[in-house]
Amino acid sequence: MKIITCIKVVPEEQDIVIKADGELSFDRAKPTISAYDLNAVEAGAQLLEECGGDFIALSVGSGGIDNPKLKKNILSRGPESLVMVADDRLKDLDTHQTAKVLKAAIEKVGEYDLILCGEGSSDLYAQQVGPQLGQLLNVPTINSVSKITQSDGKIVVQRTLENEVETLESVLPALVIVTSDINLPRIATMSHVLAAGKKPATVWTLEDIGVLELFNTIEVIDTRAPQQVERKQDIVEGDTDEAIQEFITKLSTVLAK
Amino acid sequence: MRIMVLAETQKALTELCAGASQISPQVEAVIIGDQLKVVADTIWYIPAQEYAMLEDYTESIAALIKQEKPELIIVEPTKRYKLIAGRIAAMLGTTVITDVLELEKDFVAKRMVYGGTAIRTEKVVSGSTIVMVGSGVLQSKSVTEVTVREERPVQFIEPKIRLKRIAREEKERVAVDLPGAKVVVGIGRGIAEQKDLEMIKQLALALKGEIGCTRPIAEAEKWMPKETYLGVSGLIIAPEVYIAIGISGQIQHTVGINRSKLIVSINKEKSAPIFKQSDYGIVGDLYKVLPALIKHFG
Ligand SMILES: Cc1cc2nc3c(=O)[nH]c(=O)nc-3n(C[C@H](O)[C@H](O)[C@H](O)COP(=O)(O)OP(=O)(O)OC[C@H]3O[C@@H](n4cnc5c(N)ncnc54)[C@H](O)[C@@H]3O)c2cc1C
Repeated sequence: MKIITCIKVVPEEQDIVIKADGELSFDRAKPTISAYDLNAVEAGAQLLEECGGDFIALSVGSGGIDNPKLKKNILSRGPESLVMVADDRLKDLDTHQTAKVLKAAIEKVGEYDLILCGEGSSDLYAQQVGPQLGQLLNVPTINSVSKITQSDGKIVVQRTLENEVETLESVLPALVIVTSDINLPRIATMSHVLAAGKKPATVWTLEDIGVLELFNTIEVIDTRAPQQVERKQDIVEGDTDEAIQEFITKLSTVLAK
Repeated sequence: MRIMVLAETQKALTELCAGASQISPQVEAVIIGDQLKVVADTIWYIPAQEYAMLEDYTESIAALIKQEKPELIIVEPTKRYKLIAGRIAAMLGTTVITDVLELEKDFVAKRMVYGGTAIRTEKVVSGSTIVMVGSGVLQSKSVTEVTVREERPVQFIEPKIRLKRIAREEKERVAVDLPGAKVVVGIGRGIAEQKDLEMIKQLALALKGEIGCTRPIAEAEKWMPKETYLGVSGLIIAPEVYIAIGISGQIQHTVGINRSKLIVSINKEKSAPIFKQSDYGIVGDLYKVLPALIKHFG
């Protein structure tokens, strides 16, 4: 089976700083793999182990994603090769643009059986690139997938929805969007990291994939931290009997209201 | 101005149509088959097809939108509709704004980004605006103000690709009503073993509250149903009182509870971020504090 997992590179969330005016600073936030995409990578790695074939990781974004450490990180988790479309014109893409660029890159990669995507990106979490990409590629597209099994040219997936769990069968090629609890992504060992350095990584520009125009469908007006609610922060320290009693007394007064 | 509403559940359909009628008098609903009842000015009726999944109506809905060109399309944020809306957007060359928290004038939408660290204000600039709006976002006065003026049939378009459904099972209903609860006891990784949930149940009972949790308790440990975890990718609640037990207070969790009136936390680490967001708290071992609380309030 030939598998392509799509990966978004996002700023490390813990290192995003809220400035005094509520705007965000990404200066200290290093590029990292979107958390939900780790599950899509792991799903690809497991399918590869099970049925052999070919497993490519694909990421599109600004020039900054072409980062040696990041590439190694991706490749240490199971993919056999990596393709990136890294181009500064691809900064802050909306979901429509991302899906369009991914489609062009996938078509340049060539034939495939299964495209895997994570549930959403951990930074913007629109959960829209997978559905849009599946439609653009004109292949069966299934989201919220919590289990994948394959047999002779088909896949059978378990799809977990709000109130029901369904089992669906699809022909290949197909696009599958996995849930964040489909698996537990592996931790790369030292030998995986070393091996990753030797795996092939290709970097393309927009011209390489033949995308000549990209208009945005969304205008971002503003991104800022919400106003924090002021809290009392009346904290009792220690768990001696007296401290616990003090805590209970405080609670009793407020809970009685 | 024309607004089209798409929903999977009766509750959302009623609420979204009522909410939409506050934005414009021209509310149109797309109904598939006969399951859902609705009050809207126009009903676009797609006859139910044998063996069809909701996803099989995607082409029909997209064609309807292409033909009628409503300015705004409001969609219930279910998993099925997240897929359908995305596919429709791709067919129309536009996009979808998901999980909208506020919808302002000129369809300017606000949504949470960066795990809840920030709110983004954005607007669609490519034709019809498709937004997915959860419960409680749109204001509505009365549902009965709108009456159905016309019902119009929509031609079913056979999809190019149909998925084959082999089996379908109703999930076990989770009996808790977290969004409606006045008191919520939230538990996190500070709980050492599944059997300790017994103690949490006793406390919840004593305080007449429901139990929620952090994502690892539901997804990694699987001690609680997935429907009960609170946060950016789970439920967002605003009870009178939230009691965080053994929860560190990462932003992805706290955006789900920070609209609570009162936040109380119990954590053994003085430096746990949850304390900065609490009204009351105790730095201590939950295994010492909880028995005393249960004894007092029980
Ligand atoms: C993209 C993404 C989305 C996410 N979405 C969500 C979400 O929607 N909801 C969510 O909850 N999380 C979410 N998370 C996970 C989130 O970042 C945190 O990892 C999680 O909330 C931490 O859970 P916790 O507080 O239970 O565990 P921990 O962070 O491990 O905290 C456990 C706490 O228990 C305390 N403790 C331990 N023993 C005791 C004791 N005996 N007595 C008292 N205190 C004790 C510790 O001091 C510690 O503070 C998401 C993460 C990512 C990357």
